Amino acid sequence: MEADNKRRPTAIMQKIFSAITRYLSMVVLALGLFGIIIWISGKNPIVSYRELFGSTLGSWYGFSEVLVAMTPLLITALAVALPSRIGLINVGVEGQLYMGACAATWGALILFNAPAWLLLPLMAIFGMLGGALWALIPGLLRAMGLVNETITTLLLNSVAPKLVAFFVFGFWHSSMDTNKTPNFVDAARLPTFFGTRIDLGLVIGILLLIVFWLVMKHTRWGLEIRAIGGNPEAAQRNGVPLKVYIVAILCIGGAIAGLAGMALVSGYYGVLLTGFSRGVGFIGFLISWLSFGDPIGIVLTSFVVAIITTGGSMLQLTTALPYAVINILLAVALFVVLSGINLFPKRKTA
Amino acid sequence: MTLLSILGVLSSAIFSGTSLLYTTLGEIIDQRAGIVNLGLEGVLLISGATGIAVTSLTGNPYLGVLSAALVGGATNLILGFLVVTRRGNQLASGLALMFFGFGASALIGKSFVGLKINGLPRLTIPGFGNLPPRYLSLIQFDTLIYLAIPCTLLIWWLLFRTRWGLGVRAVGENADTAFASGRSPHLIKYQALFVGGMLAGLGAAHLTIAYTLNWTEYMMGGRGFIAVALVIFSKWHPIRAIVGALLFSGAVAFQLLLQASGVQISPFLLDTIPYLLTILVLIVWGGSRKHSAPASLGRVYMGTE
Amino acid sequence: MMKKKMLYTVLSVLMALSLLLAACAPAATPTEAPAEPAVEEPVVEEPVEPAEPEEPMEEGPCLIIGALHGGPINDAGYNQAMHESVAAIAENIECVEIIEAENVPEEAGATATMENMISEGAGMIIATAFNHQYPALELAGKYPDVIFEHAGGWEMSGNFANFFGEPPDAWYMMGVAAGRMTETNKLGFVAAFPLGWSLTFANAFHLGAVSVNPDVETTVSFTFSWGDSAKEADTTNALINQGVDVITMHVDSPATIISTAESRGAYSIGFQSLHAQQFAPEYWISGTGYTLGGTLTWLTSTVLDGTWEPIFLRCSLWDGCMAMAPFGPKVPQEVQDEVMAVSAALESGETVVFTGPILDQEGNVVVAEGDVLTDDVMSSVDWLVQGMVGSPK
Repeated sequence: MEADNKRRPTAIMQKIFSAITRYLSMVVLALGLFGIIIWISGKNPIVSYRELFGSTLGSWYGFSEVLVAMTPLLITALAVALPSRIGLINVGVEGQLYMGACAATWGALILFNAPAWLLLPLMAIFGMLGGALWALIPGLLRAMGLVNETITTLLLNSVAPKLVAFFVFGFWHSSMDTNKTPNFVDAARLPTFFGTRIDLGLVIGILLLIVFWLVMKHTRWGLEIRAIGGNPEAAQRNGVPLKVYIVAILCIGGAIAGLAGMALVSGYYGVLLTGFSRGVGFIGFLISWLSFGDPIGIVLTSFVVAIITTGGSMLQLTTALPYAVINILLAVALFVVLSGINLFPKRKTA
Repeated sequence: MTLLSILGVLSSAIFSGTSLLYTTLGEIIDQRAGIVNLGLEGVLLISGATGIAVTSLTGNPYLGVLSAALVGGATNLILGFLVVTRRGNQLASGLALMFFGFGASALIGKSFVGLKINGLPRLTIPGFGNLPPRYLSLIQFDTLIYLAIPCTLLIWWLLFRTRWGLGVRAVGENADTAFASGRSPHLIKYQALFVGGMLAGLGAAHLTIAYTLNWTEYMMGGRGFIAVALVIFSKWHPIRAIVGALLFSGAVAFQLLLQASGVQISPFLLDTIPYLLTILVLIVWGGSRKHSAPASLGRVYMGTE
Repeated sequence: MMKKKMLYTVLSVLMALSLLLAACAPAATPTEAPAEPAVEEPVVEEPVEPAEPEEPMEEGPCLIIGALHGGPINDAGYNQAMHESVAAIAENIECVEIIEAENVPEEAGATATMENMISEGAGMIIATAFNHQYPALELAGKYPDVIFEHAGGWEMSGNFANFFGEPPDAWYMMGVAAGRMTETNKLGFVAAFPLGWSLTFANAFHLGAVSVNPDVETTVSFTFSWGDSAKEADTTNALINQGVDVITMHVDSPATIISTAESRGAYSIGFQSLHAQQFAPEYWISGTGYTLGGTLTWLTSTVLDGTWEPIFLRCSLWDGCMAMAPFGPKVPQEVQDEVMAVSAALESGETVVFTGPILDQEGNVVVAEGDVLTDDVMSSVDWLVQGMVGSPK
């Protein structure tokens, strides 16, 4: 007995220690691979690391920019995480984002005379409706057992930006604009904080994550969702309306993504630019997937990814590397985690 | 609507459609082996940038095409490592590869933007040399275009008439059964990915070295995703991919023709038709045995693979 | 469960590491918002104190200029022309240091780059992409001590102004050349967006062509992107398939369009940068490009000696802000002479491009007899001249 008690703390400590070393090695590996690529292109990796972290965490401005970048990531990741709890793969976040932005823009342009306290909530509602609508067809098709939502949402991803362009060039842009709508009126802009660009979207994102966590843990819906996620057939036999959940949850996911779109055009941009998202939805998908849909994980992972994408701006100035190169760090980090996570006890015997 | 303009639509469809066809063929092989490559966009970008770089440095477009193909194959092997050896999630790994492509292609291509390169030479069919230049240039196709159909037939033969192709399809249906019948699923998947990547590389090379003759960041413009749609539209069959590729590219050319004739259809709405058609195809034919996807793809889409 | 713990451990370690690295970042890399920019403030109200243009405090540059481009600086087009103009400043004024960023995203995406430049000590920001105007304007409000110059815009404030060339006259001249060289009487204009300026350029081009060849028809086709080379190739081919034999453009880089035209045996007229000519050795007619090096140098010198004022700076071909490319091998001498004669007439004011009456595609009078179009009207034009094909919307 006594020997056991002595052994348990050491065993746990050993586990933690080995986990830390394993993950530290992942971090080092990711940064190292990126550094090698930088070095091959003739730039100094150490300078790059310093710029990357220094410009983002070394100043209040940089830190605020990280939070700004984090905002859409939090929300899109949630838009993927919720459906994933019932086993739905919502890879269409990118498209739902666009449609939400489109609908919110419509609100901003039509109701430009409304006061902010009315206009912003309306835009948010439009945004959510836009995103939800975009997820409706995939949801229905999946519920009817016709087509998998992975494919439909993926295909609709490519349709959404074109639809947005159709609206912009067909109805909204003036001859003074290139590929954008006129700038939004002030009332249509989400308020920012502390003189930085952090907007209400961040607060909304965090609130949504909290709500998500609460719902999942403490409500009946959460229970039913987890039941479906665990064993859909059993859940259905127990009276959980599976098809309703499929459509509803996917649409809610779409609505959340639409809200992210609204936050982007209203908070960050203040205008609808065609092609404004270069994969934000996909990054959200990756974040959700990497965090297993867990709210705290989503916050942490979004933070790390935001550091990477924000740091790239400064990197571009000081090393003359194209900004796009930061995608390599993002990708390599993903590669390391994707290949590493499965390193762990899930060994199929034989 | 003159003869020139109608022939022009066909010619444009062929010119633009060739790169799409090669890319789709590559993705067909990948998916037949049970792997969904969402990172195709990244593979295309890296291959395209490499092709331009090599062509610019060596002055030889054929070397450029070759290097693009090899690099495409190699890039796909990254996906192979993640998905086959490491058993990573295919969708996430593919997307990660896409981002890798964004960055790596920018790095490779940066020094070659705006440079004049020796594009892939356009060949004149003997006997037609006397046509007025405007008509003649419509049918002056380059080597890759001429090889497109033969290549498609080759891929068809490879997939449906060889032991290797049988192995690929078997692995795509059920890797365990394939293993039981003495094949090595991992090796076959890697091989399929390499071949698929090479084809994608050829597609990218055609766009950059034979058509636009230059490189800019993100220039593939979503062709990777168009190809994924096209694979479904052609129901995983190489021959049908030809029709799809021509259709998708023809729509663009047709819309331009309409625009110049004064008919106003939004090019954006027209661009969405291929995707909507694909969804339609899935709804109508998705269930039937003959047209359905390789079985293990289903597990990818369900998230269990 | 265990996976989650692992994930948290990873992320916490990562964050700890990054904070550690950031803490180790030496103070040599200034990342705070600038306390004192390394430049003298060109205050509008006090036109006094011509401060020394040489090193104020230490051995550093007298002025750090941050220049942003929306595309790659070696695109043989607009971005390259702007890049070369900016580089000219450093060639002409030795103590100036330039920080450049290319492929900077549009609208709010550009703010981070500008902020970073300012934190690196930039005292003057030159934003060259069309959609950088509003983020630059916003930052101008935040940093009253930094001068912002935008290329091609119209907004003005105490420390925000803009500069550009005057293309329409140059386009008219090119139109004259095109009108003379075309054999099918069909000209093509590949434009990025239905933007007022693009339409104005196309209109000027057409008016020039029609002035020497009344049967000419100009087709305008949009690619909806400043730099989508595949679309540009498609559009060029489509135009040529309509019978067009002279192609010109208003996109960022003329490279693809000109290469494609050359491969089809159609004439091309370049724009944005004089580097375009290399893509069409045979069928090149001529072209115009921006050469704003002198202008930017002048602007910088006013910043340095404290006399900078926000002005709506526009200068023409004859001021040196734009240049005309050499004629191609197939252009006969009479055409060259005619173009130069038109140039002289434009310079002297004898010929004015947009002088009434001008009718639009439906026959409505858009410029009345005796009227002349002003700059701000030109920037918001939404019609095409009669005889042109394409939709201005």
